This record gives sequence, C-alpha cells and structure tokens, in this order.
Amino acid sequence: MDELKMNEKEQIETCQSSRRAVLGYLGSAIAGSVAMIATGAMLPKAAHAAEAAPPVPALPGYDWSKHRWAFGVDATKCIGCLRCVEACKAENEVAGDAHHFRTWVERYVTLEGEEHARIDSQADPVNIAASGSEKEYRFANRYAGEKVEKAFFVPKLCNQCTHPACVQVCPVGATFKTADGIVVIDHTYCIGCEYCVQACPYGARFFNEEQGVSDKCTWCYHRITKGLQPACVEVCPVGARVFGDRNDKQSPISQFLANNRVQVLKPESGNAPNVFYVGIDKEVI
Amino acid sequence: MPKHAVRLVLLLVIFGALAVAARYFLVDKSYYKYGYYRGDAVMEIAQDKPRYQGTAYCESCHSDKVSEWSKSVHNNPDAGKVVKCEVCHGPAGSRDPQQHYMHAATGRVHPDDLKMAIPTDTQALCKLCHEQTAGRPSQQRQIVVKDHAGALQCTLCHNPHSPGTFVGSLAAPEHRGDAEAGKGKIATCLDCHGANGISAGLPGPTLAGQNQTYLIATLTEYKTGKRNDPMMAPIAAAMSDADIKDIAAYFSSLKCKSAANTAEQTAAAHEAGASVCVNCHGANGSSADRGWPNLVGQSKDYIVGTLKAYAGGQRPNTAMNALAKGMNDADVEKLAAYYAGYSCK
Ligand code: HEC
Ligand code: HEC
Ligand code: HEC
Ligand code: HEC
Ligand code: HEC
Ligand code: HEC
Repeated sequence: MDELKMNEKEQIETCQSSRRAVLGYLGSAIAGSVAMIATGAMLPKAAHAAEAAPPVPALPGYDWSKHRWAFGVDATKCIGCLRCVEACKAENEVAGDAHHFRTWVERYVTLEGEEHARIDSQADPVNIAASGSEKEYRFANRYAGEKVEKAFFVPKLCNQCTHPACVQVCPVGATFKTADGIVVIDHTYCIGCEYCVQACPYGARFFNEEQGVSDKCTWCYHRITKGLQPACVEVCPVGARVFGDRNDKQSPISQFLANNRVQVLKPESGNAPNVFYVGIDKEVI
Repeated sequence: MPKHAVRLVLLLVIFGALAVAARYFLVDKSYYKYGYYRGDAVMEIAQDKPRYQGTAYCESCHSDKVSEWSKSVHNNPDAGKVVKCEVCHGPAGSRDPQQHYMHAATGRVHPDDLKMAIPTDTQALCKLCHEQTAGRPSQQRQIVVKDHAGALQCTLCHNPHSPGTFVGSLAAPEHRGDAEAGKGKIATCLDCHGANGISAGLPGPTLAGQNQTYLIATLTEYKTGKRNDPMMAPIAAAMSDADIKDIAAYFSSLKCKSAANTAEQTAAAHEAGASVCVNCHGANGSSADRGWPNLVGQSKDYIVGTLKAYAGGQRPNTAMNALAKGMNDADVEKLAAYYAGYSCK
C-alpha cells in the first residue's frame, strides 16, 4: 500500500521535474508517451533517493520531525469554567456563536434513581440562557435543587488520530496529518464537501457555512510550533488539560502518561486517538 | 495502421499531454512536497500570530499587579492551579483582520493599540469557577452565591489580584497601644459607654472586646472628621495619636462574651441577608479580622442608627454603604434585632 503511494508520488514528481521535456513532447506526442513510459520505469530508484532526507517546512526554530505531540485531559480536575472554550474561539477566530466549537466541554450528571447520565454542553439552550449571550459560555447551575448522585465535566477536542478517518475521505487533499502528528485543514483547497465532518467518529469537525469550508481543532498549531501551549491549555486554571511532546520524557504529557492509567475515546474505531483521558465513565464516548 | 486507429492513438496522446500540462499548471508547486497535500499550507497555518501572550509578558509593565498576584491563592503552580491574567482580562494580542481563515503573522498588541478589558461584573466572572455547581470537583472552593455575597460584587470584599486578602480590612497597627496606660485615660468615657465598656442602654455603643485596629481607625476618623458625631468629635479632637492607641488597647482587652441567639432570630436574620454579614463580622458578631468591627454587645437602636447612616452616606465606608443601600426597613429591623441579641454576658 505504502509503496504504491510512493510510486504514484514519484511519478508525478518526475513529471514535474522534466517540465521542459514534457512541453517538448507536446510537439511530438508519440515520442512523449514513450518518454513517459521510460521515466516510469526509472521510478523505484528515484523513490529511494527521496526517502533518505524527507523535506522539512522551514519554520523558524522548529523541526517537525523532532516532535510527537500528545494531549491529556484529567476530567477529575475540570471545574467546567469553559475558559478553554472561550480562549479557543478567540485564539482561532472561530465563529462567535453557540454552534461552532473546536473544543467543548460536556457535563455528565446522574441523578439519584436514574440509570443514565444527563448530558449537556455549553451549547445547551439552558446554558446559553445562563450566560446571556451566544458569545459567552457558562454552565447553568441547573441541578441545584436535585439529588445528584454523580457529576463530572469532560473537555473534548480533536484527537489528532494516528489513523485519521477524516484525512482518508478527503477527495482533494485539503486535510492532512503533519509529520509531528497534527491533522490540519488547508482552507484554500477545501471544497466544503463535508465528508470529513461525517467521517470523524468524535464529532470534532464542523462546517463553517459562512466560508463554505470545514474546520477543526489544530492543537493551536501556530502556537505549538512557536514553543507555546495551545490556548486552552494556557488558560485552564486547574491543570485539567495537559499538552506536550512525547519525545521529551520530562514534558508534562510524558509525565501524565507515565503516572496515570489513561484511556482514549472509542478505541474500537481504529483511529488511534492521541488525546488521553483520566477519570471518565463508560458513558463518555 | 488503419487511419482511424492512428487518429484514435493521436487523440489519446493529445488528451494525455493536455492532462499532464493542465496538472502542471493547476496543481500547486508545493503539492506532494511532504505528502498528498499542498506543502505551503503548513507554513501558512503555522505563521498565525498567537493572541494569548502569557503572564510573563505582563510582568515587564504591570510588575505591581503581577507580584501581588503571584503570591496569591490564584497562583499555585505546585498544584497546577494558576488563574492567569488573560483568563480575566482576555488575550493581550490580536491578529490583523483577514478574510476568514486566511492566516496572518501580524496583529495589534496591548498596550500599543489594543486595550485590555477590565471585568466590571465580577459576580459573573468569579462565579464561573466558584459557584457551587453539580460536577465541580470538591477540591475547588465553591460558594453558594446567594448566601455568600447576595447581590454584591465579589471585588467589594475580595481583591481580584489576591482574592484571599480582603478589601477594606485594615492591617494590624505597627505600634500597639499600652492597655495599662489607656486605663488612666478613660474615666470620662464610661458615663456614656458604660462601666467595663459595656453600654447597657447608654448613648455610646459597647467598646469592650472591640477589635483594636477598628477602634484606632474609627477614633482617628472622629478626630479627622471623616466620621462625624457631635458627642464624639470634641472628645476625639482632644486625643493624641498615642492616647488613641492606648485607649483602644484598653477597651479591646475588656471582655464581652456573646450570648447565643434563638433559632428564630437566626432564621429571620438569615432571610434578611445575615449570611453575607458573617463574612466580615464573624459568626456570632465577633469578627475574626482585626479591621472589621465586632457587632456583639451593640444595642438595637445603635445598629439601626448606624445602618441608616451608612445607607444615607453620612458614615462613609465602601462595603457598608453598598450593603446598607440595598436593605429595606424590615431587613434593618431583623438584622439589628439579631445582632442585638448577642448581648455581652
Ligand atoms: C509594554 C507594557 C505593557 C505590557 C507588557 C502590558 N501592559 Fe497592560 N497596560 C500598559 C499601559 C501603558 C496601560 C495603560 C494604557 C491604557 O489604559 O490603555 C495598560 C493598561 C492595562 C489595563 C487597564 C486597561 C484600562 O482600560 O485601564 C489592564 C487590565 C492591563 N493593562 C492588563 C494587562 C495584562 C493582563 C497584560 C499581560 C497579558 C498587560 N497588561 C501587559 C502597559 C502594558
Ligand atoms: C480573577 C480575575 C483576575 C485576574 C486573574 C487578574 N485580574 Fe486584573 N483585574 C481584575 C478585575 C476584576 C479588575 C478591576 C478591579 C477593580 O475594578 O477595582 C482588574 C483590574 C486590573 C488592572 C487595572 C487596575 C486599575 O486600577 O486600573 C490591571 C492593570 C490589571 N488588572 C492587571 C492584571 C494583571 C497584570 C494580571 C496578572 C498578574 C491580572 N490583572 C490578573 C481581575 C483579574
Ligand atoms: C478561571 C477560574 C477562576 C476564576 C475566574 C476565579 N477563580 Fe478564584 N480560584 C480559582 C482556583 C482554581 C482556585 C484554587 C487555587 C488552589 O486551590 O490552590 C481559586 C482560589 C480562590 C480563593 C481561595 C480559596 C481558598 O480559601 O483556598 C478565593 C477566595 C477566590 N479564588 C476568589 C475568587 C474571586 C473573588 C474571583 C473573582 C474576582 C475569582 N476567584 C475568580 C479559579 C478561579
Ligand atoms: C461581603 C464580603 C464578601 C463578598 C461580597 C464575597 N466574599 Fe468571598 N469571602 C469573604 C470572606 C470574609 C471570606 C473568608 C471566609 C472564611 O474564611 O470563612 C470569603 C471566602 C471566599 C472563598 C473561599 C471559601 C472557602 O470555602 O474557603 C471563595 C471561593 C469566595 N469567597 C468567593 C467569592 C465569590 C466568587 C464572590 C462573588 C460572588 C465572593 N466571594 C463575594 C467575603 C466576601
Ligand atoms: C457624651 C457621651 C460620650 C462620651 C463622653 C464618649 N462617647 Fe464615645 N460615643 C458616643 C456616641 C453617642 C457614639 C456613637 C456615635 C456614632 O453613632 O457615630 C460614640 C462612639 C464611640 C466610638 C465608636 C464605636 C463604634 O463601635 O463605632 C468609640 C471608639 C468611642 N465612642 C470612644 C470613646 C472614648 C474613648 C471616649 C472617652 C475618651 C468616649 N467615646 C466618650 C458618646 C460618647
Ligand atoms: C465587607 C465586609 C463587611 C460586610 C459584609 C458587612 N460589614 Fe458591617 N462593617 C464593615 C466595616 C469595615 C465596618 C466599619 C466601617 C467604618 O469604619 O465605618 C462595618 C461596620 C458595621 C456596623 C457599625 C459597627 C460599629 O461598631 O459602629 C454595623 C452595625 C454593621 N457593620 C452591620 C453590618 C451588617 C448588618 C451586615 C450584613 C448585612 C454587615 N455589616 C456586613 C464591614 C462589613
């Protein structure tokens, strides 16, 4: 499978590099096609040469081949203040309404005598009414009079999966996984078909109707490539969100993974998510 | 070869060549550079200017606020609990306006051309993290807002940059007075304030067991005229600063142990908002804070009179003025009866 992809890629690269040749072939078509078959035959050799030194984007002070980012969420610490949600919206210019979120927080409340948890998020109408605006978020104190058996908050965001289903289904190569493990969207190439929104098992992607493109959490790629923390981690007042480089054994995330029994959401989906959770129930999916 | 076959081959070749040419011109040059995507997109996404600048950024200019904050309950990095400046004030940077999703490496930044927000509704702000709410883990300090603050702004009592210290509470005096020396200076006071400093129906309020810092502060206010009373003004005017300290030390050393209130009184007072008073004046009217006066031992009339003076602004104090303005006559009655119930034993 991988080899096949590589061949295809090389084929195109070779075509590009022999631009003048290709133009020349236009004049004598048959000679051209013969030449193309010839270049095709030379492929395997070229492929090996390219593998030796994969190119790296020239980001100042940052080499993406040296990092392996991962994210941890300690749900036992989350206080549901939603500062992460507001910070994310501001940092990433996500539409200021209650329908588009790159990251969000869910609340699971089991009342005494009830079998299943009641689930709401900041986008719930009751919570929007409590905040007084679609641009601000807060959890309404809606269970104040009830007998609560168990309740907790769960922050959610893109899992930056190792095998992202969303990338597989993109028909135009507008979404891809970077070498350091982040799935991003090239909005100039996105045609807004929303296959990726459908494909994501976690509902982490949404469609921006105004721009006609899909959008998603990037773990603040513009921040982490400058040595900063994602905005949601930066503002979390209780350390419920943990971020770092798994290649660095001293990083917060490596410590988090070493010191906690962690789990991921929907492991059976086969996407191999990279957000690791502590302190969630089986009801959290 | 038959003619039609040649034509077909020729056509196929031409289409093929056109496709190759079209692909060359239409596909971005950086496509396939790192994989099956436009390689330049990585740079474009990564170049965005970050908005949140971090607390270290504020330090260079607002060192006073940062040092106050860094020693406070909101900066506890050992426990991983840090409420950063930009959580309350919003991001200190911005990105130049672009058509949506076009990335930009430039933008305005505070203080040059970006003003920071100053939160005005601090109830709304602090409640985000401190309101008692289902789901909030118990290690997070939470309050029932109605009982703790009523309709008051949290910053009326809490310093937002160091919420564990209280606005309006006075620091302990540097030089404490001498109670023995004070004993010799108070003979004239007892006519109005009662033997042992316990008022028992006299015009002057109970002074026995009152907080020393409060006594010094309020006598100084009589002296400077900030607190005005025709009886006390001339008396305080004649006192030196040393007299004030000695007298304060003496009265605060006298005993006034509070007697318990009845359950009905407590319930009525709670309804009238006494759960807020408790924050500053203590559980039984005995303030734990040296700067806030005890209410224990005061008569109902005195408490009603003072609360009206606070409501009318004749006696200036930020916290008490705000509180008293929000009370109706019935509340004042209930609260006064409640605190007067804690008479000195
Ligand atoms: C380079 C110096 C500088 C830095 C860095 C800086 N400030 Fe300021 N700040 C100022 C100045 C000067 C003013 C007063 C000018 C004004 O009112 O706009 C100010 C005003 C403010 C105000 C009051 C605004 C108002 O309307 O009165 C707040 C709040 C504030 N800064 C917060 C912050 C925070 C939070 C940070 C860190 C993220 C920060 N500042 C970083 C210089 C700075
Ligand atoms: C818990 C929320 C909170 C945090 C955290 C916080 N502030 Fe404030 N800040 C406030 C509030 C509320 C006010 C308005 C105070 C008032 O009205 O008296 C304020 C006012 C200010 C002002 C204007 C003060 C004035 O007198 O005009 C500055 C400057 C400021 N903050 C800087 C900072 C800096 C720097 C930090 C980080 C060390 C910080 N703040 C952290 C809530 C906060
Ligand atoms: C973004 C969340 C957040 C906001 C907003 C916030 N706090 Fe806090 N506050 C915390 C956290 C977290 C702690 C706990 C620190 C710890 O346990 O070490 C704390 C601690 C405190 C404490 C100390 C409690 C104790 O005795 O240990 C007080 C008092 C307090 N905050 C008051 C306020 C006030 C007043 C405001 C509004 C001006 C405010 N907080 C706004 C998160 C917040
Ligand atoms: C009338 C004055 C006053 C007001 C208004 C006020 N507080 Fe307090 N608060 C206090 C005092 C005094 C304490 C310390 C109580 C104690 O130690 O028992 C305190 C303690 C706290 C604590 C720590 C509680 C604990 O269990 O340790 C928190 C959290 C807190 N306040 C948050 C708030 C918030 C949020 C608001 C605004 C909705 C607010 N306060 C308004 C006076 C006030
Ligand atoms: C003529 C009667 C009179 C005499 C004599 C008098 N006081 Fe007073 N004192 C009052 C009255 C009346 C008030 C209440 C005034 C008010 O409401 O502001 C008062 C209030 C005070 C208070 C404020 C108490 C509080 O709880 O706020 C202090 C302290 C005080 N007196 C100290 C003294 C001292 C010390 C002397 C003696 C040197 C003295 N007074 C002599 C009538 C008197
Ligand atoms: C923010 C803290 C705070 C709260 C809450 C508070 N007080 Fe006070 N109170 C004070 C301070 C400070 C003074 C002294 C002010 C002065 O010097 O004039 C005071 C003074 C008083 C006095 C006059 C005491 C005297 O000896 O003269 C009375 C009566 C009183 N308060 C009643 C109340 C009642 C009733 C409530 C509840 C509704 C209340 N206070 C809530 C801080 C508070």
